[in-house]
Amino acid sequence: MIQLEGIRKSFGKQQVLGGINLTVQKGEVVVILGPSGSGKTTLLRCINYLERPDQGVIQIGNQKLEGKHPGRSEIHRLRQRTAMVFQQYNLFKHKTALENVMEGLTIVRGVPRDTAAEIGIEMLEKVGLGDRLHYYPSQLSGGQQQRVGIARALALNPEVILFDEPTSALDPELVGEVLEVIRRIAEEGITMIIVTHEMGFARDVASRVVFMDGGAIIEQGTPDDIFQRPREERTRQFLRRITPEANYSI
Amino acid sequence: MSRRFDIHYVLDFIPKLLAYLNITLLIVGSSIALGLLIGLLVALPRLYNVPGLQRLSRIYVSFFRGTPILIQLFLVYYGLPEILGWLHIDVSRIAVLYFVILTYALNSGAFISEMIRAAVEAVDKGQVEAAQSIGMSGYQTFRRIILPQALGISVPLFGNLVIGNLKDTSLAFTLGVMEMTGRSQTLGTATQHFIETYIALSLIYFVISVLLERAFVWLERYLNQYAGKEQTSRQQRMAKRWQARLIPISDRGGKQG
Amino acid sequence: MSFDPSFMWTAFLSLFKALPTTLFITIISVAAGLVIGTIVALARLYRIPVLSQLASAYVTFVRGTPMLMHLLLIYFGLPIIIDGIAGLVGSSFTSASIPLLAFACIAFSITAGAYMSEVVRAGILAVDKGQIEAAHAVGMTTPQALRRIVFPQALAVSLPNLSNSVIGMLHGSTLAYTISVIEINAQAQIVAADNWKYFEAYLAAALLFWGLTVLIERMSGWLEYRLNRFQRGGAA
Repeated sequence: MIQLEGIRKSFGKQQVLGGINLTVQKGEVVVILGPSGSGKTTLLRCINYLERPDQGVIQIGNQKLEGKHPGRSEIHRLRQRTAMVFQQYNLFKHKTALENVMEGLTIVRGVPRDTAAEIGIEMLEKVGLGDRLHYYPSQLSGGQQQRVGIARALALNPEVILFDEPTSALDPELVGEVLEVIRRIAEEGITMIIVTHEMGFARDVASRVVFMDGGAIIEQGTPDDIFQRPREERTRQFLRRITPEANYSI
Repeated sequence: MSRRFDIHYVLDFIPKLLAYLNITLLIVGSSIALGLLIGLLVALPRLYNVPGLQRLSRIYVSFFRGTPILIQLFLVYYGLPEILGWLHIDVSRIAVLYFVILTYALNSGAFISEMIRAAVEAVDKGQVEAAQSIGMSGYQTFRRIILPQALGISVPLFGNLVIGNLKDTSLAFTLGVMEMTGRSQTLGTATQHFIETYIALSLIYFVISVLLERAFVWLERYLNQYAGKEQTSRQQRMAKRWQARLIPISDRGGKQG
Repeated sequence: MSFDPSFMWTAFLSLFKALPTTLFITIISVAAGLVIGTIVALARLYRIPVLSQLASAYVTFVRGTPMLMHLLLIYFGLPIIIDGIAGLVGSSFTSASIPLLAFACIAFSITAGAYMSEVVRAGILAVDKGQIEAAHAVGMTTPQALRRIVFPQALAVSLPNLSNSVIGMLHGSTLAYTISVIEINAQAQIVAADNWKYFEAYLAAALLFWGLTVLIERMSGWLEYRLNRFQRGGAA
């Protein structure tokens, strides 16, 4: 249901994505791994056109976009099918937790306020923040802010949620609560594409792991395939560096 | 040069000068209102990178920030009738006051356009991305996310501009406009108690400036209720800047992966 | 009277005669302002009793009143004080022997001092507290730490504000014409009145000030680039 074909992207002379093909089925949880600079965040941001690919086709459901300059309304429609959770949370600073979650519903989807509030409360309760409805982002911890960010994405009931390193900006002791929430919603069968550095989490939650390096997909497979039986040397190198304990178990 | 200093004159002059406060406030109010309009028009080409117009607005801002307000007053007063004369428009009957208001409006417009630009640029890029990611249109993003936050950011700068404008109105007397400073000149000449008039006048300006500053601090706090301590203190520091040269706070979000 | 572009050149030549006066007023007031401003800023930062309250009152008053008031208060007030003191001590010195230019310089130094103190204060506050602690840790005294560590970094940070203040004083120097100092603005008025070409004369004056302002901005930009070299790291 999500299909990326030949996605290319350069920043100046630097090629970041060299023709990526990727298909994600409904209900899949795809985790993208790779060293920094491998293009994984850029790829994720191309899916909702926060970054415009120079070339390639992006299809979500029956919405198909091509190349660098599709129409504004097409981009708009594509974005309505996706939602994103940001590394820096990016909660609207001047709105409370509940207002953050309601914003997309009332303004973009035209949902009446009462209904939006009901959905908002339900989503915030789901991420364990039922008691923080009227707090501003500045009054919440990083972990709480990120959980609001997840609730905001969930509320829109998108066809796919894109997670851009959702725990990278968090203090170590707050990472757990956010991963726990993502794990729980993953079990509900929501399609997700996750860029992360948390290996244990990736192994747990992913239905498929994609390993990227140098702007290309090096290999992909089940978590067991990638973590236990990596076929490519570059994958093995990466895993050795990231999880030094693996050295000892071999 | 003048007679003995006599404090009674100060007290005596204050109400006499205050009688002309309305003219001073009229100049401030109308030139700021007009300046907001001009500032917005001048800022837009640069916010949206409109080719030719962008250059024009940059020259406009550079000129009005790059020349003394006093020179601008004379330039508009003597130059405008001449330029309009080429178009066969006669403005010789228009009161000086309007020239003064126009000059201050053109001047504030330049500073306000910089303020608008800086405030919009100071809004975190991530806020815009988040708005886009939930499907907001460009207009919705501007109206619901950028504008409310930019307003809060710009209040201290705007307060400085208004107070600066108030102080600058003291120059209107050079063209013979009878506002507070103009009145002080006539009082001084008539009584030969110059120092007393200027003390009285300074006190009035001072009190109005302080009141305006208080009002803007209150407004800032009101608009920034959402912000934590960290943000308010940054804005307070910005507020201290005089005639703030607006340095856009660049926010380069960490992009990697 | 029709617009006469060729007269602008005549006006320029005449304005150049007044340029030194304008620059003199600006430079003196900026230099004196920096000295006053630094003392005031340090008094406030270190909360020196009495002095810091006086400093706050001074800054608040100057910032709350037009620059023109400072000039007129000094111009009319200083002679009263000087002549009063001279009378008391029986000196034959009278305020009439003080040149007008001096009044302008004194008044504008007072103006500049208040604004500069804010620039200096903001600059010093912008320097990371850890820098002073580190200086103390390697055994520097507070004056050493200020001079060798804090001021150089503060200068780099506050250069944009500083250049703004310099431009503010340059523009403000035009007020001196109200006490009959012949700076550029006054000279423009003279040329204009002599030839009945006001628009051309003021346009020439405006262009001259514009040029000077752009020059100051460029210089400050260049200096900022050089001073901030230490911050141009490559880390993302």
